[in-house]
Amino acid sequence: MDVLGLLGDGFAGALTPANLLWVVVGCLLGTAVGVLPGLGSSMAVALLLPVTFSLDPTAAFIMFAGVYFGGLFGDSTMGILMNTPGQASAIASTFEGHKMALHGRAAQALATAAIGAFVGGMVASALVVFLAPALASFSSSFGPAEFFALALFAFVTTSSVVTDDALKGLGSLCLGLGIAVIGVDGISGAPRFTMGVPELFDGISLVTVTVAILALGEVIHVACLARHMQDGRMVQPQGRPWLSRGELREAAPAWLRGTVIGLPFGVVPAGGSEIPTFLAYGLEKRLDARRKHPQFGRGAIRGLAAPEAAGNSTTGMAMGALLSLGLPVSATAAIMLAAFRQYGLQPGPLLFDRSPDLVWALLASFFIAMVVLLIINLPFAMVWAKLLRIPRAYLYAGIAVFCGLGIYATSGSVFDLLMLLGIGIVGFLMRALDVPLAPLIIGMVLGPLAETSLRDAALSADGDFSVLVAGPIPIVLYSVLAVVLAVTVAGRVRARRATRRELRVDAR
Amino acid sequence: MTHPSNPTSSSAVVGQRLRLRADPGRAAEIAKELTVPALFTAFAVYLVVGIVTMEVPAGTSFPGPAVFPGLVAAALLLLAALLVVRSVRSARRSRAGAVADLPESAPGTAPDAAPEASDVPVPQRSVRVDWRSMAWVVLSFAAFALLLDVLGWIVGAGLLFLGVAKGLGAPGWLRPLLIGLTVSSISYIAFDMALDLSLPSGIIGWRF
Repeated sequence: MDVLGLLGDGFAGALTPANLLWVVVGCLLGTAVGVLPGLGSSMAVALLLPVTFSLDPTAAFIMFAGVYFGGLFGDSTMGILMNTPGQASAIASTFEGHKMALHGRAAQALATAAIGAFVGGMVASALVVFLAPALASFSSSFGPAEFFALALFAFVTTSSVVTDDALKGLGSLCLGLGIAVIGVDGISGAPRFTMGVPELFDGISLVTVTVAILALGEVIHVACLARHMQDGRMVQPQGRPWLSRGELREAAPAWLRGTVIGLPFGVVPAGGSEIPTFLAYGLEKRLDARRKHPQFGRGAIRGLAAPEAAGNSTTGMAMGALLSLGLPVSATAAIMLAAFRQYGLQPGPLLFDRSPDLVWALLASFFIAMVVLLIINLPFAMVWAKLLRIPRAYLYAGIAVFCGLGIYATSGSVFDLLMLLGIGIVGFLMRALDVPLAPLIIGMVLGPLAETSLRDAALSADGDFSVLVAGPIPIVLYSVLAVVLAVTVAGRVRARRATRRELRVDAR
Repeated sequence: MTHPSNPTSSSAVVGQRLRLRADPGRAAEIAKELTVPALFTAFAVYLVVGIVTMEVPAGTSFPGPAVFPGLVAAALLLLAALLVVRSVRSARRSRAGAVADLPESAPGTAPDAAPEASDVPVPQRSVRVDWRSMAWVVLSFAAFALLLDVLGWIVGAGLLFLGVAKGLGAPGWLRPLLIGLTVSSISYIAFDMALDLSLPSGIIGWRF
């Protein structure tokens, strides 16, 4: 298959003035929500989903990709300057990044982060271009048993391995699965959990749930909790916003190591880019401890470079996994999967055959987005930091209006607006009480896939569930899952014992 | 893999870790602990009622429409019970006066995240729920939803903006109202007229 020729066609499709405009709009929006603490790319995509229905799918997805990557470029800015990471994927970068800023190297820290994100994203995008078609043709042989195994894998990892609190994570997942079963059952035709309300026959729209949980819930949360917290002070960067040759030489291996760590996590359904960023940070720290003059703790450039590259390389690969397998690994990817379905497209092997124009234009737009993002982030990081001057009250009031606009524009019904409010309050409660939100979104998106493949597999085998573990691929997936779970449990037990021991020592 | 804060609460504020401080008294503390299990149980009960009253068409073969929701409901009930057990145990432990104020999800910061400058706030702060703000936001949105057909988009969304801005502590009345009306008018022009979003103009526009 002539991948480069297809990619060339993709560039031709993506470089039209209109599509170029959407890339830039997406990148600007993504960077903005990434920079603002509390807002994330998943919320931005959820809010944009309803208002992009009038666009053609290619333009919409190009914009979403810009938002997704832009969020990862922008999130480290506030982490570095104020010690408040813009979204969870920037926590690892914040440790050393903020220390660099405190030591008067804020401008260089911002540059390191932007270049790191660029390197990770570019390498991952290039890899996706060559791997995704192969992955798609490999996954075309998947049947119900394989899909069920994949969905189960995603459920367990996102709800219990990645989160601090497995009970709450699994509960969140179950809420998502439960919301997804409301509506007329596709296989038997029985109306389920509708209480006779006609508005519920089609089920609760995923758009409503994501906007409610991620956007309106956040507005309520900020209104009655988060705004009462004190903000940190911003470090004013001074000096050159570029890196000296010595700094480049220092950071380059970390960028590459981070990229390599991030890549495999893009295809593993393990909840996005948080784990790889922490792994990359941990590796750099361990390597640093062996050097003659350890830098960590005093603003090590490597401790910032590696997690940034890892985060974006995971995201790039995650887009590949989404396109070729139809499998979302993070909340943002889950919402994008929902967006594909809204347009009547099913990501997966068939997408590459049925709508090659869209796929290749989207892949080409990744590269364009990276370049655009590097341009708007490297010299202008300080301009973005000025976004914090927007009064918080007006910012969140605007978000609330946008929630209403999106939901009313797609459904046109008061019922859906009230549903939005109700689920938004649930989202607020979950946020306030430390229940993770991503499992709910993943459960809602993948729940129907899990249920239908479970029932299809059992129906075709006359109610015999053992077909689920019959093939080689499911067996491999389940054993990997078992290993991951065992490692996690062992780690938790060890950590708990360590804290107990510390407590005992302290008590004496 | 111990993260300083819950990474999958995706866009939640991740920098500072806030701990809800219940109002004085044990009743409020218990209410706070029981909110999540109550939420899970309530949804599970909804599912169970739905399963019991479900009209399954005759001739549906074994893994029917009720099997998967049944599993979900059972899991929710189990998780709610486990959460209750855990909070009771940790309450007992802390009442025993031991040092153990450390449930599994103990809000702790990684050693690397220790703030350096003395005036940087400790990353964990106790906050009380501001019920007035909550009422402003929730009631404004409910009113917006119910009155949108009467008021039209520009007025309705402008008032929603005002209400939420007040809930977030915006000073004054005129300024937020004017900004709100500007936002709603611009969004009307941008999305209804320019982007041609199929908004029913009779409702979104005012007295069209």
